[in-house]
Order: sequence, then C-alpha cells, then structure tokens
Amino acid sequence: MAVCIAVIAKENYPLYIRSTPTENELKFHYMVHTSLDVVDEKISAMGKALVDQRELYLGLLYPTEDYKVYGYVTNSKVKFVMVVDSSNTALRDNEIRSMFRKLHNSYTDVMCNPFYNPGDRIQSRWALLPVSDPVQVGPAFCVLLPSFCRTCLAILVAKMQPFGKQGRKGLFKL
Amino acid sequence: MRDFKMSVPDYMQCAEDHQTLLVVVQPVGIVSEENFFRIYKRICSVSQISVRDSQRVLYIRYRHHYPPENNEWGDFQTHRKVVGLITITDCFSAKDWPQTFEKFHVQKEIYGSTLYDSRLFVFGLQGEIVEQPRTDVAFYPNYEDCQTVEKRIEDFIESLFIVLESKRLDRATDKSGDKIPLLCVPFEKKDFVGLDTDSRHYKKRCQGRMRKHVGDLCLQAGMLQDSLVHYHMSVELLRSVNDFLWLGAALEGLCSASVIYHYPGGTGGKSGARRFQGSALPAEAANRHRPGALTTNGINPDTSTEIGRAKNCLSPEDIIDKYKEAISYYSKYKNAGVIELEACIKAVRVLAIQKRSMEASEFLQNAVYINLRQLSEEEKIQRYSVLSELYELIGFHRKSAFFKRVAAMQCVAPSIAEPGWRACYKLLLETLPGYSLSLDPKDFSRGTHRGWAAVQMRLLHELVYASRRMGNPALSVRHLSFLLQTMLDFLSDQEKKDVTQSLENYTSKCPGTMEPIALPGGLTLPPVPFTKLPIVRHVKLLNLPASLRPHKMKSLLGQNVSTKSPFIYSPIIAHNRGEERNKKIDFQWVQGDVCEVQLMVYNPMPFELRVENMGLLTSGVEFESLPAALSLPAESGLYPVTLVGVPQTTGTITVNGYHTTVFGVFSDCLLDNLPGIKTSGSTVEVIPALPRLQISTSLPRSAHSLQPSSGDEISTNVSVQLYNGESQQLIIKLENIGMEPLEKLEVTSKVLTTKEKLYGDFLSWKLEETLAQFPLQPGKVATFTINIKVKLDFSCQENLLQDLSDDGISVSGFPLSSPFRQVVRPRVEGKPVNPPESNKAGDYSHVKVSGLGRWHLPRAVRASAKPFLKHSFESFSERKGCVYLKAGFSVVFVLGQCFGKQSQ
Repeated sequence: MAVCIAVIAKENYPLYIRSTPTENELKFHYMVHTSLDVVDEKISAMGKALVDQRELYLGLLYPTEDYKVYGYVTNSKVKFVMVVDSSNTALRDNEIRSMFRKLHNSYTDVMCNPFYNPGDRIQSRWALLPVSDPVQVGPAFCVLLPSFCRTCLAILVAKMQPFGKQGRKGLFKL
Repeated sequence: MRDFKMSVPDYMQCAEDHQTLLVVVQPVGIVSEENFFRIYKRICSVSQISVRDSQRVLYIRYRHHYPPENNEWGDFQTHRKVVGLITITDCFSAKDWPQTFEKFHVQKEIYGSTLYDSRLFVFGLQGEIVEQPRTDVAFYPNYEDCQTVEKRIEDFIESLFIVLESKRLDRATDKSGDKIPLLCVPFEKKDFVGLDTDSRHYKKRCQGRMRKHVGDLCLQAGMLQDSLVHYHMSVELLRSVNDFLWLGAALEGLCSASVIYHYPGGTGGKSGARRFQGSALPAEAANRHRPGALTTNGINPDTSTEIGRAKNCLSPEDIIDKYKEAISYYSKYKNAGVIELEACIKAVRVLAIQKRSMEASEFLQNAVYINLRQLSEEEKIQRYSVLSELYELIGFHRKSAFFKRVAAMQCVAPSIAEPGWRACYKLLLETLPGYSLSLDPKDFSRGTHRGWAAVQMRLLHELVYASRRMGNPALSVRHLSFLLQTMLDFLSDQEKKDVTQSLENYTSKCPGTMEPIALPGGLTLPPVPFTKLPIVRHVKLLNLPASLRPHKMKSLLGQNVSTKSPFIYSPIIAHNRGEERNKKIDFQWVQGDVCEVQLMVYNPMPFELRVENMGLLTSGVEFESLPAALSLPAESGLYPVTLVGVPQTTGTITVNGYHTTVFGVFSDCLLDNLPGIKTSGSTVEVIPALPRLQISTSLPRSAHSLQPSSGDEISTNVSVQLYNGESQQLIIKLENIGMEPLEKLEVTSKVLTTKEKLYGDFLSWKLEETLAQFPLQPGKVATFTINIKVKLDFSCQENLLQDLSDDGISVSGFPLSSPFRQVVRPRVEGKPVNPPESNKAGDYSHVKVSGLGRWHLPRAVRASAKPFLKHSFESFSERKGCVYLKAGFSVVFVLGQCFGKQSQ
C-alpha cells in the first residue's frame, strides 16, 4: 500500500500531496521533493523517444532505507509520485503500474470537474485519497468526487449561476 | 585495528589526482598563519613541471595537513604516499638554529618511510650559517625578500622526479627471477603471516600487485600509455588469483589513466584551466615511451596511433563499468571504506562531465550508505556538504539542497559544544534556490503562491531560528515577516498565533524596517511590506465635505478662456484626455484642509489585529499624513478605514500607498504591488488655500430643517415666532476662522415657495455696514443685521387663510438688494374652500422664522465669496386650533471661485 501519494504540476509544485502516517508529513514532502530531480532527469532522457512510444510509468525513482519511491508522468508533464513501504514485498511492478493508472484516471476525473481550475491545489477531501488499510489487499483508491460530479453535472451546471464561491464550497460538502 | 584503517576520506579527490605527487608543506615551531599561507600559496603555484630533457609533465598536489595513517596506504595507491616534505620555520638567531634543525628532523620522521626528499625554508636567520650552501635548507632574511622560493621548489620537484624515475625503472625491470616483495595494505599484514611464499598463487599475487604499483609510478611519472599497459597486465594477474582489493585498485588505476586521457580538462572543476594548458603533453610523452605506438614523426601521432592507443585506453562507457566493478570489489572490505567512498566520488565527477546524471546519482546513493567509523561532527558536516556539492554538479538541485540543509543542521547539532549558527545560516541560505524559494516578496505578489509550502515554511523557520541564535534580530525579523507575508495562506490558526507572537517578541528588541539588509555573502534581503496584514481591497479618495468643497467662480471672461482650443467644441480634445481622466479624479483637494482617503480592509488573522501608525504615502505635493491606529476584529469582513492628511503645497497629488506598523514591523505598501485591489484613481489636484467663514445667529436653532439638504447647499435652521405686526432683529455674526482674509461678501435672499405666492416682505437689511468691515482678516468677526417684520394683510382675502393653513406654501425669489413687493395673487386651483372655523382670527397666527445658524463656508481664492441670502417661508400647519405660520429663511452662500490665475 502506498504511504504517500503526490501529484506534481508541470512546473514542479505540488497539486496534491497526502501521506498516511500524518504525524511525519514533512518527511514525505522532502522525499517527494527530492525525487523530482530524478523525475526531471528521466523525463529529459525520455524526451528523445517518440511520443506514442513513450512509457508513462517511470519506474523506481530511488530506494531509501524504509521506502521506495515510484514515479509516473502524464503526457502533459504532470507527475505522480508514490512512496511505498520497502517491507511490502507483495507490491510488484505490475501492481504499482495499475495503481498509477488508477491515480491517472482519478486525476483525469478531477480535471473534468467544472469547478476545478487547472493549476490549483486539489482541495477535495475525497479526491485521490490513498487507502492504506493494512487488512485490505491490493491497491485501492477511493475516488468519490468525480463520479459524484458526473452524475450531478447537470444539476450543478444549472445551479452554478446563482452560487458564489461560498455556494460552490457548500455544494461539495453535500 | 583502527591503526590499519584509513579513516579520513579526501572528499575533494578526483581521478586525475592519481597522477600527482603528494607533497606536504608544514610549519615548524611558531610561524604565524598569515606568513605560512603566504608562502604556501606561492609553493602551490608550482603545481606542474615539465621535466628537463623529456616531454613528460609532473603534477604536484600540496597539502598542509595529511594524516599519517593515510600515508600507510601509499603502497596501495602511490598518490596517497607523501613523497616530499617542505617545512617552513622562523628562526631569528643562530643560537636557536640547532634546535630548529632538530625539529625539522622530527617532522621528517613522521612521513619518513615514504619521503623521497625534503626541504626546510628558514626565515629570518642571518649570519655565517646562511653562508654554508646546503641543498635541503634555504635561508631567507624575511617573508618579503624571498623571490627564489619558486625556483627552489622547482629544483626540489626535479629531485623528486629523479627518485621517482629510479624507483620506476627499478621496479619495472624486476624480472620474475628475483623474488618480488608482496605489497600490502596495512590491515592485510597479519593475514599473510605463515603463508606459503613459494606457491604459484602467491607469486602471481606478488606480480600482480607489483604491476599495479609500477602502473601507478608510470602514471605519476607522466607515462600514461605505459601505465595503461601495466594496469591491464595487473588486472589479468590479479583476476586469476581473486585478489579483489588490489584488483579493484588496478581497475581504478585503469579508469584514472583513461579519464586523464579522455578529459584533459580535468574532472575536479576548479583546477581544470590550469591542467588544460599541458593537456597535449602527457599523451605525447606516453607515446614516446610506448614502443608499439611510436610513429615516424614521433610528435604528431596520426590516426593509426590513435587506434593503437585506444586499445589500451578505456572508452568513456567502459570507464564507468570498471569503476562500478572496482567499487564492488572494494565494498567487500570493511576497512577499505574510505577507498570505496573516494572511488564513488571520483566516478561521480567523471559522470558529471559525461552528463550521465542518473548513473551518477546511483554512485552517490551508494556513497551515502558507505558506513565509515563513527564520524566526528565536523566530518559529518563535511560529508554532507560534499554530497550536496556533488548533487549540484550533476544537476540534482533539490537533492543538493536537501543535503546542504542536513549539513546546516549538523553544524548546530546538540552534541556540538559550540554550535556554528553562522555557518548553519550560511548553508541554509545556499539551499534557497534548491527549494525554489526567493527571499524577495515581490516574487510572491503575483497570484497565488505555488511551491512546496510545507518544506519552504520549515526552511524559513530554520532561518529565523539560526539568525536569532547568530545574534542578529534584524535578520530574524525580516525572515519572520517574510514567512508571515508569503506563507499566510498555508499557516494554521495556531501557527499564525505562534508566528506573530514570536515576531512581536523580536520586534520589541529590534523593530522591522523597510531597509534592505545586506548579507556578507553578497545577498540582499529586500524589505517585506505586510500587504496582507490587513488586506486592502479598495482604495477611494474622498471629496471634501460639502461645506468645505471648493466651487469654481464664474469668471467674467467666461469658460472659453480656460480651453486652449479656438473651437467651441472639438471631439479631438475629449479623445486625447480620455486616458488622463482614468486616473485623475474630477474633484479637488484644498491646501491646508484635512483630506481623506477611504480604504476597505479586512483582517485575515484569527485574532484581533492592531494596526498602528497607518498613514498615506503620497507624492507630488508636500503632504502631512496624520497616522491612525486601528484595531480590526478577528477575521473581519470588509471594514472601512479613513486615512487623513493635510496637503501643505499645491499641485497634483498622487496617493501611492500606505504605511503601517503591524507587530512592530514598519511596512510601506505600494498600491501598484497589491494584487486584486480596486481603486478609482489615485491622483487629485490640490488647489491653493481658501478662507473659511463661520456664521452664527442670535436666534435659537430650530429643531427641524425646512428643506432637505440638496448636497451643494449647506444650511442650518434657526427659528423665531412672531405675531403679525411684530418685528425683530436678527444678527448674523460672520467670523473668519480660516487663515486667509475674506474679501468679498454678497447677499441674496430667496423666499422659498412651492406655489409662487408672496405674503409680503418680511426681511430688510443694509449690507453696506457689513461690507465696511471687509476684507475680514483671519480671526475677525463681522456682524450683519436683518430686520424681520411680519406684516400680513388678513383684511380681505379669505384665500390667504386658506393658503396659510395649507402645507407647502413658500415664497422665494428676493434679490436682497432690490426688495420688491408683489401682490398676493389668489389661488386659482381648487381645494374646496373649507377653512376651519378657528382659523379666522389673525391674532392667532405667529410667524416662525427659521434662519440659518452656523455656516461653515467654503473658502474661495482671494475670497471673492458671493453669498446670497436664501430666504424661505414654508408652511402653515394647524395644531390645536391655532395656525402656525412657519416662515423660514436660510442664508446660503453660493460661492463662486476663481481658481487663481488659471481663469484670468
């Protein structure tokens, strides 16, 4: 299970970063931040490859004593960084890949959200939450907001006009 | 055990150091540091020498400090061996000379086993001892007069070369017939006790190690190609006997020689330029000594020799592979940690030149995990700084910043007796670019902050703390203000409280200023204005209150004069002015009058915000700002604040911003730098000072006003009740309360009416008496008397009563200077004639005269005030059977103004 998930904008600032052991959040911030060096390097190396052949999954960025850091980059150069516990040997490359794909889907859904300004921090409490229940086997992400958004899109759009900023916030808490 | 282990890594090492000879330069006795380093510097300038009679170049590496235990690894890699010793000493009398010379010998003993030669430089000694020529001692009268130092060093190096060359030849010609001694590193010595020295295996080992050693010597002697050959042979020999440590060393030697060949500019960075000039030489020199590569011309090798050489020399890719292999062999030996670490660093430098950052980072990652013995705090700092530098070298700026920060934290680790806060602070500053943090608040003013807020906030906190411990509160205040200003959106409520609390603590000792702070490193910390405490949303310049507003007096010449165009109307003029009008506001401020600017502010903090000394920043006109103090409730909504000031001169004033003192920090906030601010222009014209007139009457004030104030007329009402036929005097006091003399007074009256009916002439006056007192000097009072006489004729007109009982009758239009009477006309239109019975008698009726009480007169330039008396009767109303005639008048001064010369 991932202990930390980060979505990094094209300009290398975090859009979303959440870690499960919340008491030492800063450590993960540092970890993700320094991993960007490797991501940048990998991307620049990849730049020569043809666009359609490009592999989005960057693989293991670097291992630390307790964690492994994996990376993934979308075609629009948005980066996903995932930190997993080194002791978790059940996670093989394929699982990591599929976790990233799910994350990518969730991210796309967030981008579909009519209230989201691309480039802003992803604020929603629900979006992209990594679930790290040790009992649960396999990666799972709870992505409530986007599906909610799609079904209610019509209503939301209808109600958009009368709502100010406050109204929007309130709506999301429904 | 510890003795056998090399413990002090040289983090600065690079591959080309393998070709250098190590010379230690040390002071003996008491030599001032300044003098020592002066000589040391001069010695260091002699770092490469072309050896006489050959094209080979010798490279020298000087150290003023070298741990003797590292010297013991000299057989393993000869560049670790101290081959020369230069000592520098002060000696002022011949008496001290024997003692000094003794000390020199003691010093020699330390590195004695490996030294090829040594020199002693004596400063200050004169006399007969100096006369005796000695090769190993040089005498100089003082530190200035020693021009021959460089020459001496060159001679010294040549003597080193002779020894080196003889050793090389001696070893290289060793044939297998002789017994080859086994070279070994310090920790191996005990392992070989009692080993069968006659076995093939042992002999091969000896041969392999010796080959490697000869390779080292060749490399040092400037014979690159020979060294490559020796290394290759050594690798083969050692591989067959699984002598891993030495195999690693042979491989590393191979790498070093190849690196020197491929990258003549050097990999160490700073010394690159120096090495470059002699770059062509080693290759050529080596060429000469390698029989197979000899060409016909000997000096300019053609391509065939390039190919021949390339066979021995590793390709750039191979270099890295071989480094990897060597490091993996080293890692088998715990005691060779330093060798492994240094090999990693050398490989990283090579990779940095090859621009292969990913692989370099792998080497570095490995280096991080190499566990040397328990490092001292100082060594830890050094280690982290070097890691940071190397990461910087390969372009991993974030990683570099991370390690630099760790190094900074190490400087002030609790275990250190004297924490180096200064060093810590300096290192922290260097991490700023890595965390993409600039200390200029302007970089943050545009839009929302985008960055690693959590990490940056931590760094800022550390900067604050380090600067405080450094004893520089001004810096702490600056950093803390920066933190508060730029990271406000990311601070939790509790953090906001804590940060402001500590900021107030610091500013109590050292208030924050708007001066940029220059740091020793050349960095300047720009001032941090608190534009978010409070947040200003709207700035509006206010017009003067209606009573003080200047009015333009109609000039006799008419309006046309003021426009420059001969045309009455031209669309072009209007068009040209369009832009200017956007910023300029169409009212005027008056010199010497209190002018106001309204700001809409709100407090983003979760507690009450006290803003002190809040005033305006203006330009264009001398402006006396009257600062205000305000206290904004927690997370207030928009809150209006009025800032006032007095313009002292005339001209065009521009409001540029405002200044505040919040938490003891002075800030100048310029409107241009504020994001999302709404302003309706910030430039206004200030016209010259105008007089002020205050008017009071002898009559009591009336409770209610007679007419709604229309904005451009100021009125107060006084009232008097009179019976028909009664008369009273109304004295109006005119006082000049301004600073300018009042020159002109005009009075007109107007009896207000809605139905255009007149009920007689109530008022009369003589203006001449009053005008005689003009011009009215400041502070002087003039009086103006009005006679009120009620004279209503009730005799014949029923309609009059009817009209009197009706609300809303008023009479207007008395030009005072020419009073006239007008016959009261009967009312034409029809309310049914139905007067109440009690209204018949005239003696019931009173006249209630409301007069103007206190006037606050706008000032006019050159006091051409033109007041006219507005004089109104208003209404009758029926109350308790009696009819009140409420006749009011108000004296209204409508002031025309001449704006100085402009309209003349």
